[in-house]
Amino acid sequence: MTRLSKGSIAALIALAVGALCLALEGVAPWLIAFPKGWVLPATEWVGSAMEAVLALIKPSARLFSSLMAYPMEAANWILGATPWPLLIAATVALAWRLGGLTMALMAAVGLGAVLASGYWPQSMNTLALVSVSVPLALLIGGAIGVLANEYPRVRAPVQALLDVMQTVPTFAYLTPLLVLFGFGPVVGLIASAIYAAPPMARNVLLGLQRIEPEIKEAAIMAGGTRTQQLFQVEIPAAATQIMVGVNQCLMAALSMVIIAAVIGGFDDIGWEVLLTMRKAQFGASLLAGMVIVIFAILIDRMSGTLADEKRRSYDGRVSLAILGIGVIASLVFYGQVQDPGAYGLFHSTADRVDAGLSAFTSANAEALTAIKNGVMFYVLLPLRIGFDQAVLPFTWGFVWTSGMSLALFGVAALVGLYCAYRGRLTFGVVILIAAGMLETGISQLPWPFVLVGVGALSYVAGGLRLAALSVVLLATILLSGLWERALLSLYLSGASVFACAVLGGAIGLASAVSPMVWRVVRPICDMLQTIPLFVFLIPVLMVFQIGEFSAFLAIMAYAIVPMIRYTRHGLTETPEEMIEAATASGATGWQMMRDVRAPYAAPTILLGLNQTILYAFAMLVIAALIGTTGLGQSIYLALGQADVGLGISAGAAMAILALIADRIVQGFAEERRKALGL
Amino acid sequence: MSGQATPAITCQNVWQVFGANADSALKRALSSTGSADEAAALLRAEGLTPAVQDATFEVQEGELFVIMGLSGSGKSTLIRCISQLLPGTGGEILIEGEDIRAASPKRLIEMRRKTLGMVFQHFGLFPHMSVAENVAYPLRVQGMGKKQRLAKAQQVIDLVGLGGREKNFPRELSGGQRQRVGIARSLVADCSVWFLDEPFSALDPLIRRQLQDEFLDIQAKLKTTIVFITHDINEALKLADRIAIMRDGKIVQIGTPSDIVLNPVDDYVREFSKDVAKGQHARVASVMQAGSDLPHGPDDPGLRRDMTLDAALARCMELYEPVPVRDKDGALLGVVNPADLAAALQVDPAA
Repeated sequence: MTRLSKGSIAALIALAVGALCLALEGVAPWLIAFPKGWVLPATEWVGSAMEAVLALIKPSARLFSSLMAYPMEAANWILGATPWPLLIAATVALAWRLGGLTMALMAAVGLGAVLASGYWPQSMNTLALVSVSVPLALLIGGAIGVLANEYPRVRAPVQALLDVMQTVPTFAYLTPLLVLFGFGPVVGLIASAIYAAPPMARNVLLGLQRIEPEIKEAAIMAGGTRTQQLFQVEIPAAATQIMVGVNQCLMAALSMVIIAAVIGGFDDIGWEVLLTMRKAQFGASLLAGMVIVIFAILIDRMSGTLADEKRRSYDGRVSLAILGIGVIASLVFYGQVQDPGAYGLFHSTADRVDAGLSAFTSANAEALTAIKNGVMFYVLLPLRIGFDQAVLPFTWGFVWTSGMSLALFGVAALVGLYCAYRGRLTFGVVILIAAGMLETGISQLPWPFVLVGVGALSYVAGGLRLAALSVVLLATILLSGLWERALLSLYLSGASVFACAVLGGAIGLASAVSPMVWRVVRPICDMLQTIPLFVFLIPVLMVFQIGEFSAFLAIMAYAIVPMIRYTRHGLTETPEEMIEAATASGATGWQMMRDVRAPYAAPTILLGLNQTILYAFAMLVIAALIGTTGLGQSIYLALGQADVGLGISAGAAMAILALIADRIVQGFAEERRKALGL
Repeated sequence: MSGQATPAITCQNVWQVFGANADSALKRALSSTGSADEAAALLRAEGLTPAVQDATFEVQEGELFVIMGLSGSGKSTLIRCISQLLPGTGGEILIEGEDIRAASPKRLIEMRRKTLGMVFQHFGLFPHMSVAENVAYPLRVQGMGKKQRLAKAQQVIDLVGLGGREKNFPRELSGGQRQRVGIARSLVADCSVWFLDEPFSALDPLIRRQLQDEFLDIQAKLKTTIVFITHDINEALKLADRIAIMRDGKIVQIGTPSDIVLNPVDDYVREFSKDVAKGQHARVASVMQAGSDLPHGPDDPGLRRDMTLDAALARCMELYEPVPVRDKDGALLGVVNPADLAAALQVDPAA
């Protein structure tokens, strides 16, 4: 071995700092826990600064909110007063036009189920919110996208702003909005417009930039003015991509409207889920959750057809006929149409689910508790507070002694040395570091080690600039006094991401190998990606009650999908020529997977991991509703107390963690892609 | 060359430099160095890209001017300077005597509507418009009514042989048909200066030849001024009145097809014409020597100045008697008529 690689040097430095911190623990306790005296009252500063700003724009905000009340009430009234046969007929007619018979059937069955559930009025309230917030979001997002396209100078800041808007957790900006607009549905409306605008802006910009240069040049040479070029040529030519934006915008708006229900004050379907969950009526909350899922799927599939390039349009006369039937049915049965809220076809089912669930949980109480406690005591807790504190006679049956610590380090050192001897020094050092982290626990890692470790990792992934950025951002969290909570968030999301990576990677691999598996996994993935975050809480809560383990499961269920998808995609997208070359060289199926497909898929899989991390952070905040500690909880608490400073600071800290993780993984993916010449 | 009439296009020391602060960098480089080459070297050393360097030429009205070069030689950049799709960094560009670089945005739009037309390598068709709508688009931006512009578009669509395809969308057409749409669209507004940026490069060889022939027919009818870009020497020789050859952003030679083939200025140009059947392109005039004391004998093959060398050779060969063909031992196998030899070597007797 002549020269040490960049990775080895970074790993060795991190190891040295970590070892030093552990060694000096007794002498200098400030190395472990960041002294409270050093913390700046950043949260209060942010709070008072924000409150000053908010006070300034509050009058115009209130004016805006009273203005927005009109279209909202109008939408509410229209959706509420229209007889349900007409609304269903109109939706089915539209579904036929967009996607033919399958789509029309889907709409009919879906809306029929909603009607039968008795949640029709609440659903219409939710839809009213969506129907006002989506046009708002489309307008704002479209305008931002077009402006960023027209003025290259604002493009970089706009991109950065969109990144931030999507990494800052949803709950975090509910708090300032609450202060600005007061309680009520308008807050949910505006929050969902803010949340749904970025995907629209992104796709508009992307679509406009992806137009072939020659098409733009042809419009110029035809003698069009800039406005003519934009509206007659560029925007229509980018229509497919823009429709992808519309689809994502709709889904985001729906998801956020439901999350915003936690503010309350509006009898919508999200509120219904929350209410029934709090009352532990899981049958009913599952039913309400199902209604949300039906709407999500219908909206997604129907708007999704717009973005399909090979879309064919179906006969409009059929649509008119369906609509006509709806009108006639509404007229004929006008007096007899029952109040849509009075249907309760599934009430007995819901009750039975409740009863069945209680029976199931009480019958399997021991097994369920065993699972929950097993994971908690043997996996999550050691990760969080380390072997030295988690191993107790009460749970593990013995006490963790310093001798055991020494043995752990000794074994790790031996394995590390062996790896170094085999020429994989970096890997060996990483094993040693991992042993140290297990011994200490993520939530109690010494702060100098975290700063140096993340800095070193960033340096390897993206060079000095990324390293500087990561360290400065982390130091901000440290100084603002949110450090412990940030580490707690890091631990829970880290544990979930790790579990997702292992499990999702395995499922992805299985799906890549066997088309049969993929045929089963794919619709489940589609489903999981369509469901609004909120709904994930219901089933885990039903079985495992409130607690960290339930949060862990909910995060996993949501965040595992990209890992599966990208792993499979990467592994199956190997160019045919490479496969043929490997086959011609005589590779077996397994050798092909290990030597050709996996290396080629590495950048794609890393991108999947990246998505999984971002998903996990997004869900972490929602999971605070069912009991997690850390930043998510702070954000949720801030919402309850209308504490703008805490809400914003904790939200920012969360965004910082997500941002750093995102950049590091992207850096590695980029490096792999370059190495493969892609 | 430049006569008394105003040339259709005049380029005077045109530069296009890419990179930060290209304008001031070019000014500095030109004032601090003596020649264009030194200025370009200085710009490159500063990390800028001089994509077009000091291009100077004129195109006469009705002339078919071909700019040829390998990819990356700056030919597409140059045509984009002239059509002002790129601003140009230095120099003067006159279209029918008017300085297009100094034109206001409004005037530029006006010129594009009335004077300039352009055809693109990858067609640049609007995917959301039918053939008829694509072709009529330059009229639409001028505010012409729908009926009127579709009627006008129909004429050009028929001219390029696409009648019956008006309602199709670009994705439903073959490559050759798409480029016909592109050509029709650039012709619909009756432009007098026509830019074609490698219009046939993306097509199959057979379709390419067919479109080249049709293009020549259209040009014979319309007599517009044309700047045509290509990387194919045979295409250039077939179409051009004059050819400009570009290399690394510089124009290295301008001349008629036979100039280029017979008197290449350097190895780069020679390399291009190496694979060209010179006999098809060079004319008798290019090898003719002055002289008047030749007696008018009986064995005059009847050569004219504008005959191709191939044709002239065939005429001369006709003067010879048939000659013997033998095997390796010297036994007579048959006879060959030298005129047949010459005729067999000609590629296309129709030319």
